[in-house]
Amino acid sequence: MSSIILEARDVRYRYPRGMEAICGISFHIRKKEKIALVGPNGAGKSTLLKMFNGMIRPDSGMMLFDNQPVGYDTASLRTLRKRVGFVLQNPDRQIIAPTVFQDVAFGPTNLGLPEQEVKKTVTRALRHVGLEGFERRPPHQISGGEKKRVAIAGVLAMDPDVLVLDEPTSGLDPSGSEDIMDLLDELNHEGKTIIISTHNVELVYPWADRAILMLEGKILEEDIPQKAFGNPEYVRRAHLSLPTLLELHRELQKRGFDLQGKKPHTVLDMMDCIETLLEKTSRHPRPGMITICNVDRFNHESLLSWISARPGIPVGAMGTRAKQQAELLQIRLDFTYGVIDKCILKALLGENTLIMTNDSMVQRVNQRVDTYCQESGIRITVSQLGPAAQPDQEENRSVP
Amino acid sequence: MFEELLEDIAQKNALREVNPYIKLTAGLGAILLCLLSTGYFPPLFIALVLTGATLFLARIEAKMYAGLFIVPLWFATMSVAGIILISGGHDIFWRWDILPSLSLSITRESINQGIFVFCRVLGGMSALCFISLTTPMTDIFTVFRRCRVPETVIDLMMIIYRTIFILLDQVVQVYNAQVMRLGYSTWQESLNSFASLCGAAFISSWDAGEDLIRAMDARCYDGKFALLGETRPVEKIPCLAVGIFLILSTAIVIVAGNQTLI
Repeated sequence: MSSIILEARDVRYRYPRGMEAICGISFHIRKKEKIALVGPNGAGKSTLLKMFNGMIRPDSGMMLFDNQPVGYDTASLRTLRKRVGFVLQNPDRQIIAPTVFQDVAFGPTNLGLPEQEVKKTVTRALRHVGLEGFERRPPHQISGGEKKRVAIAGVLAMDPDVLVLDEPTSGLDPSGSEDIMDLLDELNHEGKTIIISTHNVELVYPWADRAILMLEGKILEEDIPQKAFGNPEYVRRAHLSLPTLLELHRELQKRGFDLQGKKPHTVLDMMDCIETLLEKTSRHPRPGMITICNVDRFNHESLLSWISARPGIPVGAMGTRAKQQAELLQIRLDFTYGVIDKCILKALLGENTLIMTNDSMVQRVNQRVDTYCQESGIRITVSQLGPAAQPDQEENRSVP
Repeated sequence: MFEELLEDIAQKNALREVNPYIKLTAGLGAILLCLLSTGYFPPLFIALVLTGATLFLARIEAKMYAGLFIVPLWFATMSVAGIILISGGHDIFWRWDILPSLSLSITRESINQGIFVFCRVLGGMSALCFISLTTPMTDIFTVFRRCRVPETVIDLMMIIYRTIFILLDQVVQVYNAQVMRLGYSTWQESLNSFASLCGAAFISSWDAGEDLIRAMDARCYDGKFALLGETRPVEKIPCLAVGIFLILSTAIVIVAGNQTLI
């Protein structure tokens, strides 16, 4: 278990002349965790989020960052805000400068970085969120999803350890929301702790490491998503809806089906549950192969010819750079969110798939497939398209 | 309610990538030459060249451009009519004594003067349109900074620029909401709706201001507004084109200095 980065000890807060918004909350967040704060409107989610970077000072109780109590003098707040980046719900309110470049440069400039360094940082941040070439565009001319990305880039440019996002998917279309969640996944994989507030249970259920259910300024439940959303009573009280997977699981159980193992977290888990139940497998005798293409290393022409040699192969892309590359090369993407699981599902049907991804995420694909293979005892081959000169390196992941 | 904004058109024009200094030199130089010229032809020449550049090089829609021109053109026509009737001269074509102390006349000199003023207006307008349709505000900020305009002023301008669009967005939303509920169906109703529109705009701008401070604080605001982006490099061809245009115009100003139409 990694160490604790953020902690609240019995914090309380009352808005001037208002109701008590936060009534005694204690919890902690560990480094590299993905936390989802869920609850109805007015539950105090946004207020709590604003305490993380010192925008709201609790009336009583204590906030700790990196095991140090949060100080509210200007210098400590500055340090805190550099390390805890905050993305507001409405990107229009977050974007302050007249061009994308200037807005992303705002944070680093104020941190006192030299001009050359600022330019480098901005380029890197924009590249990260997939907005290269948007530098000189004014914010009022770009779409909602792009604005959200600019807001995230503006915070990323300050290189925070923790990213706090208030309703990151509000006002976005489903595919835009999935892209943002995938981006957050990517950032998390690079070592950032991510805290979001949301109403979108379906989106957050497979994403979060831990969910915190809030109601009327208190924490109702705080656990892994399967458990936090698994209690229908809490879910009802928090004005949420059960994730479809859990509802299906529950209904099957109610009808007397004896479902083995843990509650399903993904479609893949549910498949396993049902197949165990029916004692029948739809699995192809020879599972398909998952091929990984590292877009940072692999030659584009070889990739195109590799794909054209295998017409109809489903292609998934993980991470912003891979998606950009796919768009550039006009590769049709079948999966852009929850890619690994979808590819495993295809593999179980005996189909081969390709995952386009970048340096940092290759390992993650391997890990996920490994874990699945160990749990299920099925052997799925993962191979990586090597640099063009070398023949494909094949690795077998198997369980004896 | 709101036409497409000039700024939006400027952001998308085909000359967007040309260095702003070159475009400003062309525009401001043209205005200066229009003012220096004493004959009607140089401003007319400048107007033709710059209108051509705006329409064909910057690819601005002709209809939009004409729409932009019509209002000032209307004003110019009326003032020119006044100038022709009021200013006197020796070579009288027509004369009407309304009152003993006031007479209207059309003379050779007054017609020449009218045409000269009209052409100057055309030249100046087309130069202004050229600047505003090819150089967006965001580029002009960079120029301001280079011209040593105080930082505080530029920061304020940039915040105002950004806020205008947010506010405009809010105003359009409120206005549409009012129209949908028949807010402007009668005169009385329009008055009421307009008043509440103003109120809503004020409140939302107040809100936006508070959020702005919060957003800036959350990103460690330390009195420094962002750096400006880089401007495009000065390229040879546009530079040459502007040079030729200005030299040619100056030559015409000198040669066709006192020419009159009639």
